[in-house]
Amino acid sequence: MTSNRYVYGIVDGDPVEFETDAVAGADQVYTISHRRLGAVVSDIDTTDPEETDEDAQRHDDVLREIMDERERAIVPMQFGMSFESDRTLKNVLRGARPAFRRAMNDIEGRIELGLKIVREEDADVDDEAIEAAVDDELEPIAAQSVPNDLFSDRLVLNRSYLVDREDREAFDEAVARLEGDEAHDHEDLTFRYTGPFAPYSFVDVEIGAQR
Amino acid sequence: MAQPQRRPDSSSLAEVLDRILDKGVVIDVWARVSVVGIELLTIEARVVVASVDTFLHYAEEIAKIEQATAEGDLEELEELEVEPRPESSPQSATE
Repeated sequence: MTSNRYVYGIVDGDPVEFETDAVAGADQVYTISHRRLGAVVSDIDTTDPEETDEDAQRHDDVLREIMDERERAIVPMQFGMSFESDRTLKNVLRGARPAFRRAMNDIEGRIELGLKIVREEDADVDDEAIEAAVDDELEPIAAQSVPNDLFSDRLVLNRSYLVDREDREAFDEAVARLEGDEAHDHEDLTFRYTGPFAPYSFVDVEIGAQR
Repeated sequence: MAQPQRRPDSSSLAEVLDRILDKGVVIDVWARVSVVGIELLTIEARVVVASVDTFLHYAEEIAKIEQATAEGDLEELEELEVEPRPESSPQSATE
Protein backbone atom coordinates (compact mmCIF):
# COMPACT_ATOMS: atom_id res chain seq x y z
CA MET A 1 0.00 0.00 0.00
CA THR A 2 1.54 3.30 -1.06
CA SER A 3 0.37 6.59 0.32
CA ASN A 4 2.67 8.98 -1.56
CA ARG A 5 1.11 10.88 -4.46
CA TYR A 6 2.81 11.85 -7.69
CA VAL A 7 1.26 15.06 -9.06
CA TYR A 8 0.96 15.83 -12.81
CA GLY A 9 -0.86 19.13 -12.61
CA ILE A 10 -3.79 21.12 -11.29
CA VAL A 11 -7.29 21.20 -12.77
CA ASP A 12 -10.32 23.31 -11.98
CA GLY A 13 -13.74 21.76 -11.41
CA ASP A 14 -14.72 18.16 -12.22
CA PRO A 15 -12.22 15.51 -11.14
CA VAL A 16 -10.25 13.63 -13.80
CA GLU A 17 -9.97 9.85 -13.61
CA PHE A 18 -8.71 7.27 -16.10
CA GLU A 19 -6.55 4.18 -16.52
CA THR A 20 -3.20 4.55 -18.25
CA ASP A 21 0.52 3.71 -17.97
CA ALA A 22 1.33 6.24 -15.27
CA VAL A 23 4.62 7.31 -13.67
CA ALA A 24 6.49 4.62 -11.65
CA GLY A 25 4.35 1.73 -12.83
CA ALA A 26 0.99 2.97 -11.55
CA ASP A 27 -2.01 2.32 -13.78
CA GLN A 28 -4.62 4.68 -12.38
CA VAL A 29 -4.73 8.47 -12.60
CA TYR A 30 -7.21 10.28 -10.35
CA THR A 31 -7.88 13.59 -8.65
CA ILE A 32 -7.47 14.84 -5.08
CA SER A 33 -9.47 18.00 -4.58
CA HIS A 34 -9.60 20.91 -2.23
CA ARG A 35 -12.70 22.97 -3.00
CA ARG A 36 -12.73 23.49 -6.79
CA LEU A 37 -9.02 22.89 -7.38
CA GLY A 38 -7.89 19.33 -8.01
CA ALA A 39 -4.44 17.76 -8.17
CA VAL A 40 -4.23 15.02 -10.83
CA VAL A 41 -2.19 12.22 -9.22
CA SER A 42 -1.14 8.59 -9.30
CA ASP A 43 0.13 6.44 -6.43
CA ILE A 44 3.87 6.12 -5.87
CA ASP A 45 6.11 4.82 -3.07
CA THR A 46 8.65 7.62 -2.85
CA THR A 47 8.75 11.38 -2.46
CA ASP A 48 11.88 11.53 -4.61
CA PRO A 49 11.05 9.75 -7.87
CA GLU A 50 13.88 8.82 -10.19
CA GLU A 51 14.10 10.87 -13.33
CA THR A 52 13.89 8.51 -16.31
CA ASP A 53 13.03 9.19 -19.94
CA GLU A 54 10.15 6.72 -19.69
CA ASP A 55 8.57 8.38 -16.68
CA ALA A 56 9.08 11.88 -18.10
CA GLN A 57 7.26 10.70 -21.22
CA ARG A 58 4.46 9.20 -19.10
CA HIS A 59 4.11 12.43 -17.14
CA ASP A 60 3.72 14.31 -20.42
CA ASP A 61 1.35 11.67 -21.85
CA VAL A 62 -0.99 12.10 -18.87
CA LEU A 63 -1.05 15.88 -19.39
CA ARG A 64 -1.74 15.39 -23.11
CA GLU A 65 -4.59 12.99 -22.43
CA ILE A 66 -6.20 15.65 -20.23
CA MET A 67 -5.53 18.52 -22.64
CA ASP A 68 -6.14 16.88 -26.00
CA GLU A 69 -8.67 14.10 -25.38
CA ARG A 70 -10.66 15.88 -22.69
CA GLU A 71 -9.93 19.46 -23.73
CA ARG A 72 -9.38 20.44 -20.11
CA ALA A 73 -7.01 23.11 -18.84
CA ILE A 74 -4.24 21.81 -16.58
CA VAL A 75 -1.50 23.78 -14.83
CA PRO A 76 1.52 21.52 -15.39
CA MET A 77 3.93 20.47 -12.65
CA GLN A 78 7.62 19.99 -13.21
CA PHE A 79 8.73 16.35 -13.15
CA GLY A 80 9.15 14.82 -9.69
CA MET A 81 6.52 16.58 -7.57
CA SER A 82 5.67 13.69 -5.29
CA PHE A 83 3.83 14.35 -2.00
CA GLU A 84 4.06 12.51 1.31
CA SER A 85 0.29 12.14 1.69
CA ASP A 86 -3.13 13.45 0.72
CA ARG A 87 -2.85 15.75 3.71
CA THR A 88 0.35 17.47 2.63
CA LEU A 89 -1.04 17.77 -0.88
CA LYS A 90 -4.30 19.37 0.26
CA ASN A 91 -2.27 21.68 2.48
CA VAL A 92 -0.46 23.03 -0.60
CA LEU A 93 -3.67 23.20 -2.65
CA ARG A 94 -5.17 25.32 0.12
CA GLY A 95 -2.12 27.47 0.81
CA ALA A 96 -1.21 28.23 -2.80
CA ARG A 97 -4.74 28.52 -4.12
CA PRO A 98 -4.42 32.13 -5.36
CA ALA A 99 -1.28 31.28 -7.34
CA PHE A 100 -2.88 28.21 -8.90
CA ARG A 101 -5.99 30.27 -9.73
CA ARG A 102 -3.96 32.95 -11.49
CA ALA A 103 -1.95 30.37 -13.42
CA MET A 104 -5.20 28.67 -14.44
CA ASN A 105 -6.61 31.95 -15.73
CA ASP A 106 -3.47 32.54 -17.78
CA ILE A 107 -3.53 29.19 -19.55
CA GLU A 108 -7.20 28.22 -19.77
CA GLY A 109 -8.21 27.33 -23.33
CA ARG A 110 -4.62 27.65 -24.53
CA ILE A 111 -1.82 25.34 -25.65
CA GLU A 112 1.93 25.70 -26.00
CA LEU A 113 3.68 25.35 -29.36
CA GLY A 114 7.41 25.48 -30.01
CA LEU A 115 9.36 26.78 -32.99
CA LYS A 116 13.06 26.34 -33.58
CA ILE A 117 14.73 27.56 -36.74
CA VAL A 118 18.10 25.98 -37.42
CA ARG A 119 20.48 27.07 -40.16
CA GLU A 120 22.68 24.73 -42.11
CA GLU A 121 26.30 24.71 -41.10
CA ASP A 122 28.26 27.50 -42.86
CA ALA A 123 25.05 29.00 -44.21
CA ASP A 124 25.04 32.76 -44.23
CA VAL A 125 21.61 33.91 -43.14
CA ASP A 126 20.26 37.19 -41.83
CA ASP A 127 19.14 36.27 -38.30
CA GLU A 128 17.51 39.61 -37.60
CA ALA A 129 15.44 39.60 -40.78
CA ILE A 130 14.26 36.07 -40.07
CA GLU A 131 13.34 36.94 -36.51
CA ALA A 132 11.42 40.01 -37.69
CA ALA A 133 9.52 37.97 -40.29
CA VAL A 134 8.63 35.33 -37.68
CA ASP A 135 7.48 37.99 -35.21
CA ASP A 136 5.30 39.62 -37.88
CA GLU A 137 3.55 36.34 -38.67
CA LEU A 138 3.26 34.69 -35.27
CA GLU A 139 3.11 37.35 -32.58
CA PRO A 140 -0.29 38.72 -33.67
CA ILE A 141 -1.81 35.23 -33.41
CA ALA A 142 -0.15 34.08 -30.19
CA ALA A 143 -1.50 35.20 -26.82
CA GLN A 144 2.06 35.34 -25.51
CA SER A 145 5.53 34.09 -26.37
CA VAL A 146 8.81 33.56 -24.58
CA PRO A 147 12.34 33.13 -25.93
CA ASN A 148 14.18 29.90 -25.15
CA ASP A 149 17.90 29.34 -24.89
CA LEU A 150 19.87 29.53 -28.15
CA PHE A 151 22.04 26.61 -27.07
CA SER A 152 23.68 26.21 -30.47
CA ASP A 153 25.08 28.91 -32.76
CA ARG A 154 23.14 27.26 -35.56
CA LEU A 155 19.89 28.15 -33.81
CA VAL A 156 18.49 31.26 -35.44
CA LEU A 157 15.35 31.28 -33.33
CA ASN A 158 13.96 29.28 -30.41
CA ARG A 159 10.62 30.39 -28.98
CA SER A 160 7.59 28.97 -27.19
CA TYR A 161 4.16 30.30 -28.04
CA LEU A 162 0.98 30.29 -25.98
CA VAL A 163 -1.90 29.95 -28.44
CA ASP A 164 -5.69 29.91 -27.96
CA ARG A 165 -7.14 26.59 -29.10
CA GLU A 166 -9.32 28.40 -31.62
CA ASP A 167 -6.27 30.10 -33.17
CA ARG A 168 -4.35 26.89 -33.60
CA GLU A 169 -5.22 26.47 -37.31
CA ALA A 170 -4.28 30.06 -38.08
CA PHE A 171 -0.97 29.46 -36.31
CA ASP A 172 -0.31 26.28 -38.34
CA GLU A 173 -0.98 28.26 -41.52
CA ALA A 174 1.32 31.08 -40.47
CA VAL A 175 4.16 28.61 -39.80
CA ALA A 176 3.56 27.05 -43.23
CA ARG A 177 3.76 30.52 -44.83
CA LEU A 178 7.05 31.26 -43.07
CA GLU A 179 8.50 27.96 -44.12
CA GLY A 180 7.49 28.49 -47.73
CA ASP A 181 8.83 32.03 -47.84
CA GLU A 182 11.58 32.06 -50.47
CA ALA A 183 12.80 35.46 -49.35
CA HIS A 184 14.49 33.88 -46.37
CA ASP A 185 16.75 31.36 -48.03
CA HIS A 186 14.59 28.56 -46.79
CA GLU A 187 16.93 26.04 -48.37
CA ASP A 188 19.42 26.87 -45.64
CA LEU A 189 16.90 26.74 -42.82
CA THR A 190 15.17 23.89 -41.02
CA PHE A 191 11.95 24.60 -39.14
CA ARG A 192 11.24 22.47 -36.10
CA TYR A 193 7.63 23.07 -35.19
CA THR A 194 6.62 21.09 -32.09
CA GLY A 195 3.74 20.53 -29.71
CA PRO A 196 1.11 20.97 -28.63
CA PHE A 197 2.48 20.85 -25.11
CA ALA A 198 0.89 21.62 -21.78
CA PRO A 199 1.76 25.29 -21.18
CA TYR A 200 4.91 24.54 -19.17
CA SER A 201 6.72 27.67 -20.33
CA PHE A 202 3.90 29.96 -19.24
CA VAL A 203 3.50 29.01 -15.61
CA ASP A 204 6.36 30.15 -13.44
CA VAL A 205 5.32 29.30 -9.90
CA GLU A 206 7.59 28.17 -7.08
CA ILE A 207 6.14 27.07 -3.78
CA GLY A 208 8.37 26.72 -0.77
CA ALA A 209 7.95 26.10 2.93
CA GLN A 210 9.09 28.57 5.54
CA ARG A 211 11.41 26.71 7.90
CA MET B 1 -8.53 26.18 -51.79
CA ALA B 2 -7.57 25.40 -48.23
CA GLN B 3 -4.51 27.18 -46.88
CA PRO B 4 -1.45 24.98 -46.51
CA GLN B 5 -0.89 24.05 -42.90
CA ARG B 6 2.04 22.77 -40.95
CA ARG B 7 1.22 20.21 -38.25
CA PRO B 8 3.51 20.43 -35.25
CA ASP B 9 5.48 17.34 -34.30
CA SER B 10 4.35 16.00 -30.95
CA SER B 11 6.68 13.03 -30.73
CA SER B 12 10.01 14.59 -29.77
CA LEU B 13 11.21 13.35 -26.37
CA ALA B 14 13.95 16.00 -26.31
CA GLU B 15 11.34 18.76 -26.59
CA VAL B 16 9.31 17.16 -23.80
CA LEU B 17 12.38 16.85 -21.55
CA ASP B 18 13.36 20.48 -22.19
CA ARG B 19 10.07 21.52 -20.68
CA ILE B 20 9.21 18.90 -18.10
CA LEU B 21 12.58 18.95 -16.29
CA ASP B 22 13.03 22.69 -16.38
CA LYS B 23 9.62 24.35 -16.38
CA GLY B 24 6.19 24.03 -14.80
CA VAL B 25 5.18 24.46 -11.16
CA VAL B 26 7.91 23.60 -8.64
CA ILE B 27 7.10 22.69 -5.04
CA ASP B 28 9.90 22.48 -2.49
CA VAL B 29 10.33 19.06 -0.87
CA TRP B 30 9.57 20.53 2.59
CA ALA B 31 6.17 21.69 1.41
CA ARG B 32 5.52 18.22 -0.02
CA VAL B 33 6.35 16.23 3.12
CA SER B 34 5.59 18.46 6.10
CA VAL B 35 2.18 18.13 7.66
CA VAL B 36 2.08 20.59 10.53
CA GLY B 37 3.27 24.09 11.20
CA ILE B 38 4.53 25.08 7.79
CA GLU B 39 3.90 28.39 6.18
CA LEU B 40 3.94 28.35 2.40
CA LEU B 41 5.89 30.90 0.41
CA THR B 42 4.83 31.40 -3.18
CA ILE B 43 6.95 33.07 -5.81
CA GLU B 44 5.21 33.87 -9.05
CA ALA B 45 6.77 35.37 -12.13
CA ARG B 46 3.85 36.35 -14.27
CA VAL B 47 4.82 35.16 -17.72
CA VAL B 48 1.47 36.00 -19.21
CA VAL B 49 0.80 39.72 -19.21
CA ALA B 50 -2.86 40.49 -18.50
CA SER B 51 -3.23 42.88 -21.40
CA VAL B 52 -1.46 45.84 -22.92
CA ASP B 53 -4.20 48.18 -21.66
CA THR B 54 -3.74 47.07 -18.07
CA PHE B 55 0.01 47.48 -18.36
CA LEU B 56 -0.25 50.96 -19.87
CA HIS B 57 -2.66 52.05 -17.18
CA TYR B 58 -0.27 50.76 -14.52
CA ALA B 59 2.72 52.45 -16.16
CA GLU B 60 0.78 55.72 -16.29
CA GLU B 61 -0.02 55.61 -12.57
CA ILE B 62 3.62 54.92 -11.71
CA ALA B 63 4.72 57.80 -13.92
CA LYS B 64 2.34 60.18 -12.07
CA ILE B 65 3.80 59.26 -8.70
CA GLU B 66 7.37 59.54 -9.96
CA GLN B 67 6.66 62.92 -11.47
CA ALA B 68 5.07 64.21 -8.27
CA THR B 69 8.05 63.00 -6.26
CA ALA B 70 10.56 64.52 -8.65
CA GLU B 71 8.84 67.89 -8.56
CA GLY B 72 8.77 67.84 -4.76
CA ASP B 73 5.01 68.09 -5.07
CA LEU B 74 4.46 65.91 -2.06
CA GLU B 75 1.44 67.69 -0.68
CA GLU B 76 -0.69 66.26 -3.43
CA LEU B 77 0.53 62.77 -2.67
CA GLU B 78 -0.10 63.19 1.03
CA GLU B 79 -3.62 64.29 0.32
CA LEU B 80 -4.10 61.16 -1.69
CA GLU B 81 -2.66 58.74 0.76
CA VAL B 82 -2.86 60.11 4.29
CA GLU B 83 -6.20 60.77 5.88
CA PRO B 84 -6.02 62.68 9.18
CA ARG B 85 -7.24 60.30 11.84
CA PRO B 86 -8.49 61.54 15.23
CA GLU B 87 -6.79 58.76 17.21
CA SER B 88 -3.34 59.85 16.02
CA SER B 89 -3.75 63.42 17.26
CA PRO B 90 -1.40 64.58 20.07
CA GLN B 91 -4.32 65.01 22.45
CA SER B 92 -5.39 61.40 22.35
CA ALA B 93 -1.77 60.32 22.63
CA THR B 94 -1.33 62.08 25.96
CA GLU B 95 -4.52 60.75 27.44
